Amino acid sequence: MKTHVIVGASLAGATAAITLREEGAGAITMIGGEPEPPYERPPLSKAYLRGEVTFDSALVRPSAFYAEHDIKTMLGVRAARIDTAERFVELEDRRRVPYDTLLIATGGRNRRLSIPGADLSGIYGLRTVRDADRIREAIVAGRRAVVVGMGFIGSEVTASLRAKGLEVTAIDPGKTPLFRVFGQEVGRSFADLHRAHGVHTLFEDAVAAFEGDGHVACVVTRGGLRLECDFVVAGVGIEPAVDIADGSGIGLDNGVVVDEFLETTINGVFAAGDVANHYHPLFRRHIRLEHWQNAVRQGAAAARSMLGQRTAYEEIPWFWSDQYETNVQYVGFHTTWDELVVRGRLDSGSYLACYVKDGRIDAAVALNRGRDIRRIIPLIRSRAIVDIARLTDEHVDLRSLEAGNHRAAITQEGS
Amino acid sequence: MTAEFLPTGIAAAAVPPGGLVVADVRGTKVAIANVGGTYYAFDDTCTHQQCSLADGDLAETTVTCMCHGAEFDVRTGEVLAPPAPSPVRVYRVRVEAGALQIEIG
Repeated sequence: MKTHVIVGASLAGATAAITLREEGAGAITMIGGEPEPPYERPPLSKAYLRGEVTFDSALVRPSAFYAEHDIKTMLGVRAARIDTAERFVELEDRRRVPYDTLLIATGGRNRRLSIPGADLSGIYGLRTVRDADRIREAIVAGRRAVVVGMGFIGSEVTASLRAKGLEVTAIDPGKTPLFRVFGQEVGRSFADLHRAHGVHTLFEDAVAAFEGDGHVACVVTRGGLRLECDFVVAGVGIEPAVDIADGSGIGLDNGVVVDEFLETTINGVFAAGDVANHYHPLFRRHIRLEHWQNAVRQGAAAARSMLGQRTAYEEIPWFWSDQYETNVQYVGFHTTWDELVVRGRLDSGSYLACYVKDGRIDAAVALNRGRDIRRIIPLIRSRAIVDIARLTDEHVDLRSLEAGNHRAAITQEGS
Repeated sequence: MTAEFLPTGIAAAAVPPGGLVVADVRGTKVAIANVGGTYYAFDDTCTHQQCSLADGDLAETTVTCMCHGAEFDVRTGEVLAPPAPSPVRVYRVRVEAGALQIEIG
């Protein structure tokens, strides 16, 4: 009987364990550094942070599930290193866990600000439920918070803090929230969203120092502003948690490098989720994603690869974000673009914006248009040249575009 | 209270094959799907974040929530894809004099 070991009791790790069990695998052991059973992180910046849902509702499975399904869990214990020659994982307490196949699903850890005052109390990151609990304790209506970094975590925390009646100043070096991902035009609509909800926004500025007597009381910006506050939440990104693989011979580059089957450079060792830098066959490049869908789907796919069912993982990346009453969804993958093609209006609170390069839609972001996002997926997957006039025509059903493109392609070939 | 068929106020002809509508029946929001001429009714409210499933997309017997992509089997209410944590309730449907009725108990 083969032994499958999963390092990281994360969404990716738990999904892999569940999939392995469903597929009739032998022994399964899941090792997790956090003491809690595997849970989903999206609520931590939203409903859980606002105190609207219990932690139990965020669990991937009820805590008794794993024992009931013969999945051994070792929680609250960190794996220290991997010996790929002898095939075992060594834990911090020197115990060794032998494996036949191994999955690295260690996720990431928050980047820290290395500026004066960063070690004061009252400066929070957000990754774990414990982080969320610390912020929850600081949430009192009327308090003043500074949110550093307006990526997805910062944006969602900002929205949650406003919903709880706090005064929020949000600061980011970009021209807008989410500027690096979405660019200025789309980013501006997010800036407008936050300002419409009473957020003091401060863009193209950065934090120079935190000041306070033990506890943070003031944020000093590079631009020379002094922001009095009761606490700070920093959302300045994560780094993939790869230290377990240091010295193991497993290829590392922006995370754990895996092929289309989610296998690392070492036979029998796989990676999935935030930590995995995966070769995506459709986009023909390595992509590392830090999103829920990626954790779920890669976790399941890696489990199948561990059992020898080699199927290339080629899901189209997709994620959502909920801010205030606005549902944001993104699908595809883009880094640069020639043209931003918008269906609807960017200032209307409801639009689909497509990142088009070489005539093809690489990715799209939508505000309050989940249906459009679902319908654009086949177009992204097909890599077809898109008819921009029809894409922007609200009377055209997006589902008809793909068929139209196929006809156009056939006509071209025939002529 | 015994189950009984109640009017939805929606004509069967108003829901074409592949179509989805929402009805308010005694305060319960119920989605009705037409799968190849057969009608299926289920709770309209997604068990994940309370989005309307009738606002989603129907492909054969699968409805996809437009907010976060959860999928349900319209025949059974079963969750086919997360993040929905639990199934939606399903109801029996009948067409009476060209109008849709659902059984609510």
